[in-house]
Amino acid sequence: MLVVCAGLAVAAPLFGNPYHQDLVHGLGPTGLPVGPSATYPLGADLLGRDELTRLVFGIRVSLTVAIVSNATSIVIGAAVGLLAGYFRGPVEQFLMRFTDVGLALPYTLAGLVIAAVMSAGMTRVIVIITVLFWSYPARLVYGEVLRLRARGFVEAGEAMGAGGLMIVRRHLAPHVASMMIAYSPLNAASAVAFEATLSYLSAGINPPTASLGNMISDGQVAISYAPLLVIAPGLAIMALTLAFLLIGEGLKAYNPDLRRLSWLGR
Amino acid sequence: MARAVIRRLVFGLIAVIGVVTLAFVLEFVVPGDPAKAIAPRAQSPAVLASIRAQLHLNQPVIVQFADYFGNLLRGNLGTSYVQHQPVASLIGPRLLTTGALALAGVVAEVIMGSALGILATLYGRVRALVGAINLTLLAVPIFVLGLVLLLVFGFRLGIAPVTGGAGAAQLALPALTLGLIGAPWYAQIVADQMQDSLASSYVRTAVSKGLSDAYILRRHVLRNVLSPAITMIGLDLGAYLSGVVTVEVVFVWPGIGLLAVNALHDLDRPIVMGTVIVGAVAVVFFNLVADVARMFVDPRTREEL
Repeated sequence: MLVVCAGLAVAAPLFGNPYHQDLVHGLGPTGLPVGPSATYPLGADLLGRDELTRLVFGIRVSLTVAIVSNATSIVIGAAVGLLAGYFRGPVEQFLMRFTDVGLALPYTLAGLVIAAVMSAGMTRVIVIITVLFWSYPARLVYGEVLRLRARGFVEAGEAMGAGGLMIVRRHLAPHVASMMIAYSPLNAASAVAFEATLSYLSAGINPPTASLGNMISDGQVAISYAPLLVIAPGLAIMALTLAFLLIGEGLKAYNPDLRRLSWLGR
Repeated sequence: MARAVIRRLVFGLIAVIGVVTLAFVLEFVVPGDPAKAIAPRAQSPAVLASIRAQLHLNQPVIVQFADYFGNLLRGNLGTSYVQHQPVASLIGPRLLTTGALALAGVVAEVIMGSALGILATLYGRVRALVGAINLTLLAVPIFVLGLVLLLVFGFRLGIAPVTGGAGAAQLALPALTLGLIGAPWYAQIVADQMQDSLASSYVRTAVSKGLSDAYILRRHVLRNVLSPAITMIGLDLGAYLSGVVTVEVVFVWPGIGLLAVNALHDLDRPIVMGTVIVGAVAVVFFNLVADVARMFVDPRTREEL
């Protein structure tokens, strides 16, 4: 499923120009958008633009945002968690209280506030998602490092005379990395959903650039007579999210520690 | 136990102070002149200057921050630039409508989630089906689900109102939306905990003692399910009270989230800051309440943290 979406995203330009308005054929005699036809497989939107073309461009945006912000938030979160768990003392207190602040932020409201200080576009969405998404992995990694510490990994390393960096790299990082790899599909799925949410609230990517979220907010006024304008991008978001979740399920199946958390039963 | 509660309280306070600081810093860099937001038609620089002086906007940042913080401690969240009313009195009634929605949503998700979880535990054959339902619900973005429910029940079947407002009839669909989105988490918790405790030695002992099924379920199984469920309910109440923004926007439910979205469009800083702060307090408070409630139900967690 993800491969199909990624393929569509890469091939997006082949579908045509997402901004092209066809006022003659895209809109019916009453000015309402036309339904699905051979020229417009998913119909046209309210401005007479091909819905399918906009959809694949929207998928492109969603995937880019998901991949980039997933990487940034996990790298920052893991670094904070590792540092706090390894150094303890004041560093730990400072970093973890800062993480608490991150966890206490009301997601969507905080997203709106950050959105207000930046100009619309992909960068804004990626920044918002990173700022709001790093704290949870930080908490996870921190807990994991404390558990590893309790199992004597760090003391053993120190007793053998290994330096701090060496211990982090050789003993802590591998465990943390496998944990983060298992967490990242879930994180990416949330990122897809959150990008759509932000754009839906016009706090993410704004028209005319197509994004699945802003397509829905544009289409919702027509929901009673052209429901496809909401349903098609909605299904696209679902497909992307589900694809990431299923990857997560697959990873969990290979990791005995995480199998418990599987959604499809043990 | 008291120590653990106090420790949690202190951490919570630090987090809230952090959010206040963060909100202030962010709002301070918002482009746009609040003086113009208050008096959009005032052209004369003298008028704008006097508004700025009134709001202490001409003071150094640190003085403004101290002012804001001092007012906050007295329960004063400032005055709306656009609606010219105290922010606290604007947020107050909104908090109630959001609270009603949050409560209805939590009830709906607990009921639906428990039903799914119990089904999955009792009937092995539906387990995979429940898993698939869970995964699908997890993947639906909340506002898309809301719009689809609105389309089906509101426009097509005509059994739910399509106009916004805070009536009982208007509550059904947004609550159902929250319930469906939240249900998978509860289904997972209920199924997991029930399976674990049904297979445990203490249940086997209880059965062999000849205790009734109902008694075993109540005394042994339910308690185990309750503990993680309480944490989850606390998280959800906090999150929903901080404004289920998209649901409120879709259904035009006049709560905190809708207030914040509209205020943001009006560049009404005090309201936006107020909602974020109230939201953060809700998150922290309900997490704390959940932790304490959990300590009562599950003695094992008293030692943690």
